[in-house]
Amino acid sequence: MSWIAMIGLALGGLLRKKGRNTLTMLGVFIGVFALTMIISLGQGLMAVITGTVSGDDNLRQISLLPGFGIKQNDKPEEIVIEGDMSERRRERLRRAAIARSQLRQTASGQSLRLTEESLDELRKLEHVQSIKPLILRRYQVDFEGHHSDGTQTFGIDYARRHPESRVIAGRYPSSNEADEVLVHEYLLYTWGYVTEEQAAGVVGKTLVISSVKGAGEDNPMPMPEMSPQDLQALFRDLKLSEAELAAVATLSKRLPEILAKLRGGEQRRGIAIRRELKIVGVLREPEAGDRFNLLEDGQSTQADLFFAEGLADRLLREAAGSGDVVYQRALVMVDDPSHAEAVEQKLRDKGYTAFSVATVLKRLESSLTVVTVILSFLTGIALIVATLGIVNTMITSVIERTREIGVWKAVGATNTQVQIVFLIESALIGLGGGLLGLGVAALAMLPGDIIARNLIAQRTSFPYEGAVFILPLWLQVTGPVLGTLVAILAAIYPARRASRVDPVTALRHD
Amino acid sequence: MIVQITDVWRQYRMGGAEPVAALRGATLAIEAGEFTCLLGKSGSGKSTLMNLIGGLDRPTKGSIEVDGIELSRMSARELSLYRREKIGFVFQSFNLVGSMRAWENVSLPLVFAGVPRAERKRRADEMLERVGLARRADHRPTQLSGGEQQRVAFARALISHPRILLGDEPTGNLDSATSEQIMALMVEENRRGTTIVMVTHDPDLAERYASRIVRMADGAVVGDTRREKLFATEATEKGTEAASQRG
Repeated sequence: MSWIAMIGLALGGLLRKKGRNTLTMLGVFIGVFALTMIISLGQGLMAVITGTVSGDDNLRQISLLPGFGIKQNDKPEEIVIEGDMSERRRERLRRAAIARSQLRQTASGQSLRLTEESLDELRKLEHVQSIKPLILRRYQVDFEGHHSDGTQTFGIDYARRHPESRVIAGRYPSSNEADEVLVHEYLLYTWGYVTEEQAAGVVGKTLVISSVKGAGEDNPMPMPEMSPQDLQALFRDLKLSEAELAAVATLSKRLPEILAKLRGGEQRRGIAIRRELKIVGVLREPEAGDRFNLLEDGQSTQADLFFAEGLADRLLREAAGSGDVVYQRALVMVDDPSHAEAVEQKLRDKGYTAFSVATVLKRLESSLTVVTVILSFLTGIALIVATLGIVNTMITSVIERTREIGVWKAVGATNTQVQIVFLIESALIGLGGGLLGLGVAALAMLPGDIIARNLIAQRTSFPYEGAVFILPLWLQVTGPVLGTLVAILAAIYPARRASRVDPVTALRHD
Repeated sequence: MIVQITDVWRQYRMGGAEPVAALRGATLAIEAGEFTCLLGKSGSGKSTLMNLIGGLDRPTKGSIEVDGIELSRMSARELSLYRREKIGFVFQSFNLVGSMRAWENVSLPLVFAGVPRAERKRRADEMLERVGLARRADHRPTQLSGGEQQRVAFARALISHPRILLGDEPTGNLDSATSEQIMALMVEENRRGTTIVMVTHDPDLAERYASRIVRMADGAVVGDTRREKLFATEATEKGTEAASQRG
């Protein structure tokens, strides 16, 4: 059998109805285009996420937070309602008891705190290499007449020197203990140091940090300053008198202290501290291409002052006074990424709040896969519609060419050959649509990448420079092959119909 | 004996009721090299008989042997190959493929035989030369006159050098002058040794060219006359002249 001759015959058939066959091909094109774009985006986003996060030991890290603990006797299956009653009533009361036990659990507060003792305990867990508290605290900051309440500070891992590459003026702190601080360029900007020269000018000067008033270990956010008008607007519904409003205004400023007191003030003997720190450098916001580290960059996105963790820890202890030093967050490093999940689970079993990058990544990956699969199915509908279009076109073509098929048969075409010619015709439509879809998708990815990168830049604080749409070889092959296969499937029935044409009827003179 | 038809019946089911019989026990033997005209009114079964000889159709019962091979036992594929190798068809309505050039139409049988394009072209040109249309090779059917179209169809029928040429009213759509040309080509082919079976309802045409006239009525052979070849020879010369004057 001469394939080239058959392809020629099929091509001739296609070219005879260019308009119709082009439209049919566009159906395949749309399906393949959409499918390629969606899978490519799914692949790309996954690469963005893993690429951003998987380097630099991130996969060995687990974020550890205080937990609510677990009360063994409050497990739902162990709640028993006793007494003589109907099963229906017992079931109702049991449900009520479960609901209330859950309320008690959440209301019991942060029963598992991150203290030095509890961290020491956790360090003994298998596969745990180290646990390092992360010190994020708010202080009041005063500098050259500028004042800010509640500026976020962050204790950097001095030895890792991770943010050093972001120091745009001055230098990295000289030691883990030195009273030296790096100021974020944004804080300086809000203070009016607009140009880089102005920002660099603060290096060598001294700023003062002091503990937020009334802040014990809870270190709550200070209340925002509010004008009487603001307060009036806020409390309009309550119809407060002038005197009451004034009282609210006064009280709101001291709310942190009052809250601390209400929570059992005498246990939490916070000490007000005040410290002069020398500005040794200006730190810039991360840029695309910076090494991303969850420890430093993931936790410090809102921090304006950075100092070595040795200093941060010292300040924390001073502020705690005779009370326990309590951390808000710690970073667990496991010996190998493969153990991250198990250790995370162990921490949760103990009642702490913990999440590992690996688990988050896995969850992200699976949800991204689900989304991609669902979207692919939706686009698959476009391909199914295209298939129906092909079936329609091919049947029309067979009907139109019944006499021609009769001639083929009279001159010796076998049924198989007749089928093959129509299958080739359809395959060519599918291949053409698939190649077009792939080509246009590849072109659309260029602006698509730019748009997607802009979106990432707008929505997150981490810039990204790589490709968001990626088109691996297997995906390049998938589009045209899928288009062709679908078209061949669509042509099976019309081709069979063509092969069953009765030459006597087809050739009858009329 | 190249064709041996024995008690052949062909019935069609139309709408499921009583089957309609196009052939009712037709029996006929055709010698190799004969020029046979099947003569009869429409509905006499002559076309059905011709389609059976050409392997386009199968008998309901009875036997058709061509070259000693029983057609009714062949598979669809074997019948296709049989048509490809042994049979050439010429139809009343030419049945050329409108989108193909003359030479492509002529070479169509070779496409299914798997002959490479260059050879197809060469052989098609050869055939077109023979029917006097060498200069029309690249024309499409719509650009050709009826007589030219039928000559293209004739070239297509002969390109595989069939043993039997079947004509179903090949001159039915042509005026008398063009008909003469086509008949001349038929006679010429017959002289080369090709067995010709031609269906016609025109007794005059049969009288003038056929070496044998088989009359059919109601699906059976009712008359069979062998004739001298003299007339045909004479006619051939006249027809060839006519053809060369035109071509």
